[in-house]
Amino acid sequence: MNDRVERLDVPILMDEAWHYASGEAMERFSTGLAARRIEALRCDGCGRRYLPPRPMCGNCRLRMTHWVAVDDTGTLEAWTVVHQPILDGRTGEERPSPYGMGLIRLDGADTTVNHFVQTGGPRRQGVTPPGPPLFIGQRVRAVWREELRGAMDDILHFEVVEP
Amino acid sequence: MRSVAVVGTGQTKHARRRDDVSQAELVREAADAALADADMCAEDIEAVLIGNMELFEGRGLPELWVGGGAYGTGKPVMKVATGGTSGTSTAIAAFHQVGSGLFDRVLAVGFEKHSEGHTQTGMALTDPFWDRAVASGALGNFALSVSQYVAAGHATEDQAALVAVKARRNAARNPHAHLQMPDLTVDEVLASKMLAHPLRMLDMCPQSDGAAAIIVASDAVAREHNPRPAWVKATATRHDQCYIGDLDRRLLSMRTLRDASAHAYTQAGITDPVRDLDVAEIYEPCTYAELAWYEALGFCEAGEAGRLVEKGVTSMTGALPVNPSGGVLSTNPVGASGVIRVAEAACQIHGRAGQRQVERADLALATGYGVYAWADVVVLGSEP
Repeated sequence: MNDRVERLDVPILMDEAWHYASGEAMERFSTGLAARRIEALRCDGCGRRYLPPRPMCGNCRLRMTHWVAVDDTGTLEAWTVVHQPILDGRTGEERPSPYGMGLIRLDGADTTVNHFVQTGGPRRQGVTPPGPPLFIGQRVRAVWREELRGAMDDILHFEVVEP
Repeated sequence: MRSVAVVGTGQTKHARRRDDVSQAELVREAADAALADADMCAEDIEAVLIGNMELFEGRGLPELWVGGGAYGTGKPVMKVATGGTSGTSTAIAAFHQVGSGLFDRVLAVGFEKHSEGHTQTGMALTDPFWDRAVASGALGNFALSVSQYVAAGHATEDQAALVAVKARRNAARNPHAHLQMPDLTVDEVLASKMLAHPLRMLDMCPQSDGAAAIIVASDAVAREHNPRPAWVKATATRHDQCYIGDLDRRLLSMRTLRDASAHAYTQAGITDPVRDLDVAEIYEPCTYAELAWYEALGFCEAGEAGRLVEKGVTSMTGALPVNPSGGVLSTNPVGASGVIRVAEAACQIHGRAGQRQVERADLALATGYGVYAWADVVVLGSEP
């Protein structure tokens, strides 16, 4: 290795949107979110209720068409508090930290949802103040945005339900 | 399938930044080292396979820009991409190309130059409809899975710290390694910065610039080019469903790695991996993952991995040294990391691992880990 540093900076400045077809299952799911409704697809083979809903059960290779209602309350199955600034894939901005996140098994679903979990008082500018520790098995419920847009971030975060 | 062997390996010096070379030059450095190790010249190579994580460097078609660096001009060149397993999958693709009889001499090279691009951009662009608002990269994914592993009582933070110490101390004997910390202690690991509970800075792999290459040859050619070829005894790869929430208690179940290793062990006639294997190079992106992989790979019973590392079973002087190279915890140019695992395992069989050589390396394991949805397992041996 030679120690001479040669590096040319090449900025990429883009204001670009990508356009994705959601597919039939995700379209129904997104439409539901706009009405604060969460629906999963159930496999008729193994009975697993999938979020996000998708056309086929990966385990049974069966097409799924059976929709089931899912609650916006659930149980924390895994958790962390992220202390590092992490890039938000929608904006390119760094997310203020620390923040809590978890895998939540919503009542009525068998897969888990990856989402923010508020540990303390109200989030201020995206920052979660220190609060009581999270633990697996904790009951949580979704906190919804006031104006729903039919996207997953209509759920702002999950908050701990006091026992 | 006819006998196939790794006859040469080559690695760059891996580092936080390799500003002294371009991506193509970095690939050339690894390719030249592997060719020299196999006593071959570029004209001998019939086909080239490339492993890389394309979004990380911010340039489309990486195989186009580095193909020439890998001596691919005028030859079949293709890229293999399966997340973090890309490197092991690239090696396995080379085994298939030679084993099938298509070619007798194939170069497989993996590279990454994390310092040039923006790794987080690649990691942040998850499913646009589902978790892009929340996704917190490899760090967030691992922290979630590790919380379950710890809650189930399978490892303590002290046991995880022992893995960090073992890796960085081993790396001090590997001239290619990025993080070399011969004096690292458990206390220093536990005092390192908390990144995402319970993962600290020294629990995680670094981001490295580096490339690694192997030369894969058929039966007769292999014997001509290496006195002790590393013969391919088994390969297995497994894919799983794509969302993190699809997999319950991921580190505890790890069905991809469990299935792949069980399949590979059967092919290679391995019944007790700790007894039968002489060395393992496993793809461990964080300390707790190494412990979870011990369980999935059958090195111990569920919940016993922490005690295995405490007893030194996987240290350089233990029954099964794991990652004499220092592993991914010490060196992680992602697209190269899987090739490095295979190259290190082969290098041990060749008897060319220098200060990190284990005694009597006749059977070696290499694994790959991709996102949470891929696992690759390779077994190499001193006999075909």
